[in-house]
Amino acid sequence: MGFVMRVKLTETLRDGTLKNYFENGKKAGYQFDVRLAYYRGHYLSVIDEFKVEVDNEEVDDMDIRFCVNGKEFMPCQLREAYYEFWNIKKPATIKVRKDGGLAAGEHNVKLTLMFRNPYLPQPGAEDRYTPVDSCDEKILVLEDAIA
Amino acid sequence: MKMSNIKLGVTTHSYVAEWVDDKATLEDMVRHIADLGCDGMEIVATSMFPEYPYVSDAYAGEIRRYAADYGVKLVAISGNMDRGKRYDRNLSEGERLAVVIRDLQNANKLECSVLKSQFLISPQVMQRAAKYAEYYGVKLTIEIHNPETPTSKIMTDYYNAFEETGSKYLGFVPDFGMFADRPNKADMDRAIAGGANREIVETAIKLRYDGVSREDGRKILTEKNATPMEMNLFESMYGFMQFSKNPDFDGLRKIMKYSPHMHGKFIDILEDGTEATIPYDKILKVLDEENYDGYIVSEFEGQVKPGHSSFDYVRRHIALERKILAELNQ
Repeated sequence: MGFVMRVKLTETLRDGTLKNYFENGKKAGYQFDVRLAYYRGHYLSVIDEFKVEVDNEEVDDMDIRFCVNGKEFMPCQLREAYYEFWNIKKPATIKVRKDGGLAAGEHNVKLTLMFRNPYLPQPGAEDRYTPVDSCDEKILVLEDAIA
Repeated sequence: MKMSNIKLGVTTHSYVAEWVDDKATLEDMVRHIADLGCDGMEIVATSMFPEYPYVSDAYAGEIRRYAADYGVKLVAISGNMDRGKRYDRNLSEGERLAVVIRDLQNANKLECSVLKSQFLISPQVMQRAAKYAEYYGVKLTIEIHNPETPTSKIMTDYYNAFEETGSKYLGFVPDFGMFADRPNKADMDRAIAGGANREIVETAIKLRYDGVSREDGRKILTEKNATPMEMNLFESMYGFMQFSKNPDFDGLRKIMKYSPHMHGKFIDILEDGTEATIPYDKILKVLDEENYDGYIVSEFEGQVKPGHSSFDYVRRHIALERKILAELNQ
């Protein structure tokens, strides 16, 4: 791969946001917040790659919900979200379906988030745009009180 | 008698490090601009508008309050032309026009007279947009940013398109980065400290100064066994960090009549108060001689050194411009 931009101005995976969520009275999964690593917001359709790996296990696409602006998207729906703008100041909440949620304690979260800069074509190209790396990996702690 | 009326302002982009990291609000930026004795602000829509691509009544009210309370008015909106937002094809001309009409409408709502778009809009779409710009009373402009120059092929196409329409509502926003006349010494020192060979770095600088083509330069450096890091440095000198012994000031004079707004790009202000790569004395002299009547908004795009903030850099940049303008007025 050629030149990849990286503009990280704030934490991407947000500390203190890992928690379990409930559906139908049962622990249905877990969630955490993510901010985009760039200086401006973007339409969700510029996201070329979105993957989540927790404790060295890749999460199935169909179990992921990318939540922003009061809406939820599965990863396969992002590329057609041409009019859904992800504000640079707003965290997106990533929900992962997992019966029973996660245990309290430390979890290694790995996020793959690659997008293209839709106003910056690659040199000499008409329809290929400069890739930007908004990936992150860190330990998030799920507190006992919200586990 | 002086005919020029050069006004100084700041773009919110200067403070982006603090903005994105939740260390500064828009009101903090406005307060700083007022404190510097400036009265003009540019807002980067995709970074700052809470409801992008829309402007709510609440946001319009906030902007009006800043004008009333701080005396800082919105003089330009910096827009983006996201031609590549679809995965399957570029936005069509009609779709790009729709983006611009929305941006013009926003500028009108915010009582702002200049909208800066980007060159992916195309000269044809600019022509089609002229009547909307006139209707909203907003000048539609595109930025001329390094590695483009006022007379590069793309910008000449735009110039000719503007001439053809005869509209006073189409134009350019020159970004001063394109007048850089030397490399950023701090970058070069950092590269050498990081393992780049001094001789290779100096060769790369000389190739650029001598106007050797990118392709020939690559060959020469490859023959000298330049490392990937050294090659990247060389490539940057032909891209966003381009510099030239003879910046295109004649081109700047040519496009002045189409330039209602300018970007005072800066990377660093050195100990002696000068900019690290851009000859501000020469640029401001041209603007003064050409009777420029408009804003230069400070646009900081360097790295904030530890213990400093973007706010310090903006302050020093405004001081630099004031000093030069005072000398020109003697």
